[in-house]
Amino acid sequence: MCSTQKSLMATEYSTEVRMEPIEHRFNPYQDNGGTILGIAGEDFAVLAGDTRQTVGYSIDSRYEPKVHDVGDNLLLSANGFSADGVELVKVFESQLKWYHFDNNKKMLVHSAARLIQHMLYKKRMFPYYVSTILAGLDEEGKGAVYSFDPVGSYEREQCRAGGAAASLIMPFLDNQVNFKHQMDPESKGTKRRPLKYLSLDEVIELVRDAFSSATERHIEVGDGLQILIVTKDGVRKEYYPLKRD
Amino acid sequence: MPGLSFENFQRNEYLVNQAGFKPPRATSTGTTIVGCRFKDGVVIAADTRATTGPIVADKNCEKLHRISPKIWCAGAGTAADTEMVTQLIQSNLELHSMSLNREPRVVSAMQMLKQHLFKYQGQVGAYLIVAGVDPTGPHLFSIQAHGSTDIGYYMSLGSGSLAAIAVLERDWKQDLSKDEAMKLCATAIQAGIFNDLGSGSNVDMCVMEMGKDAQLYRSFMTPNVREKKQRNYKFARGTTAVLRQSVFDIVEVVKEEEIPVGSSDAMDVDH
Amino acid sequence: MDSINVDVGHLKKGEISMGTSIMAVTFKDGVILGADSRTTSGSYVANRVTDKLTELQDNIWCCRSGSAADTQAVADIVRYQLDLFKTMNGRSPSTRLSASIFQEICYNNKDSLTAGIICAGYDKGKGGQVFTVPLGGSMHQHEYAISGSGSVFIYGYCKENYKPDMTKQETIDFMKTSLSQAIRWDGSSGGVIRMVLLTADGVERLIFYPEEYNEELKD
Repeated sequence: MCSTQKSLMATEYSTEVRMEPIEHRFNPYQDNGGTILGIAGEDFAVLAGDTRQTVGYSIDSRYEPKVHDVGDNLLLSANGFSADGVELVKVFESQLKWYHFDNNKKMLVHSAARLIQHMLYKKRMFPYYVSTILAGLDEEGKGAVYSFDPVGSYEREQCRAGGAAASLIMPFLDNQVNFKHQMDPESKGTKRRPLKYLSLDEVIELVRDAFSSATERHIEVGDGLQILIVTKDGVRKEYYPLKRD
Repeated sequence: MPGLSFENFQRNEYLVNQAGFKPPRATSTGTTIVGCRFKDGVVIAADTRATTGPIVADKNCEKLHRISPKIWCAGAGTAADTEMVTQLIQSNLELHSMSLNREPRVVSAMQMLKQHLFKYQGQVGAYLIVAGVDPTGPHLFSIQAHGSTDIGYYMSLGSGSLAAIAVLERDWKQDLSKDEAMKLCATAIQAGIFNDLGSGSNVDMCVMEMGKDAQLYRSFMTPNVREKKQRNYKFARGTTAVLRQSVFDIVEVVKEEEIPVGSSDAMDVDH
Repeated sequence: MDSINVDVGHLKKGEISMGTSIMAVTFKDGVILGADSRTTSGSYVANRVTDKLTELQDNIWCCRSGSAADTQAVADIVRYQLDLFKTMNGRSPSTRLSASIFQEICYNNKDSLTAGIICAGYDKGKGGQVFTVPLGGSMHQHEYAISGSGSVFIYGYCKENYKPDMTKQETIDFMKTSLSQAIRWDGSSGGVIRMVLLTADGVERLIFYPEEYNEELKD
């Protein structure tokens, strides 16, 4: 928000606004709420998202899946402004098709990540209003999660939450996946708890708890949870209902 | 000085307009509240979610306030305003009824509320449904923050009022029984709970019937019980980092020495 | 907005308004007040069965338009002043006095009020009387008056069809047609048509439902 807009703001603490002419312009963006979450395991990766789509205080849809199996053992989700998210995934799928025609081979996850960076940065001056997460398996068969900001800055991570309740879920993940702020009980609080890969069952439990908790405290999260799991055998989908209030 | 304090007005004006400071957000009860009359009584109901922006501040808050034993009110808008304005009118109505030696009337509560809210020109953001029974019968009113009032057989207020009024307009009929009215209100609130993001959790209800004590049904319905968590998040003892350790004696122990009374040895100092 | 240029469209944020169709008409036996029943908050109909005809004394009533909060508050004050007048002087206040009190309040607080009022009453000496107190706080006497956002559509009809000293039935029919057309063309007006008849016989209330007043809803 720029400073001239601030002066036009009337709040419950200050009723006075500057009487400057207000510029009315079409706002091309919208916030459709929702949250996504990706976690990488030793030989798998999961990408999960709730299925509620909102605008303001209304629910547009209780089931609008936003995590996509885009082929080549890759999972992609772009959360934020849903129209941009859908567009990004569509363009990616098209680009992937051309990659196959041109190179006649599967796209690797790190290549997909770099491609997405370019797709996002191409719209640097009129960005896709989304936080994007890509999940797949790397060349060694290890789980990989890549997260992107709206204009293409990206990073490979062990886990990442994006969207409306990202700030609620991320600290939980830091604690439960990367064992942040946890000491080894054996050491009586003197040595850090050693890192270890979580099993797929443990990860799914964590994801379900993360989303049911986010549903409790964030009004834009709820209705349903879809979890897509990628292993060397392919992509599997799971669905769990969430609270609808 | 009685009344509200405006001593920080100028400072806040500066902070918002010049220093680019974001003002704190008050907890709003992005709410669904309804009221409905029946044969010889009236019922009001509310959801129990309180929000600050998109975050749920309270999952089970009370939006039904008592003004007098048989006059209750449901509040939407700024949580603090609905609470305080209700308490103020509760006190004044009690004093009023004591000085007249009569049971308090719903119209009195309504008139006091609307005059207070009109005085503050909408700055006190309380949107209320006032209902109750008094010697003149059952009554149901709604009051907007600017001080306007409406009378009706059924009404809804708050962010979920559109979802609720849809149900009320569809199902309401003249001369409902008490149970029918309660059921109608519960359905209307649930429409708000499930279709309005500002409303959620449980249904609270209050029934006021002529010649009977008012009945408050806290958690009349609980359609949103949380399922059991998949994992157990109890941390093992020793998980918390120990950075420093120091042990204090809570009581300082002073050694007492007993000196026998009249002992010449102890008193004899000049040897 | 300043004291000279009154912003007609000015309403406080989120305020409930009565984009209204109201009228009052004198006739042979007294006066009739009429109004639609719609109250809006933006495009939302906050109340579809509003009673915009407000009693000030047994024989003096008013039609309210503008901000619901403002007009209710002003009407409450006027009612109080008239009650006080009656107890202090031991006689009933006149219609003109009622309108004058409205006028005084609306004039003195014109910067903060959005209130357009038609005040009408019946008394044995002067029969039916109609006064309007528009936004700036002036006062005008008429044989009949129309006001509110819906009134702009029926100025011509009323001018052509009003006759002095109509019968009760003629007046009711005239008002029913006028208000039904105001409601027909004004989106901020709607619901039922309410009327209050003030004559030597006292007060009579009438209500007309859309199925009756709206020709387009008849078979």
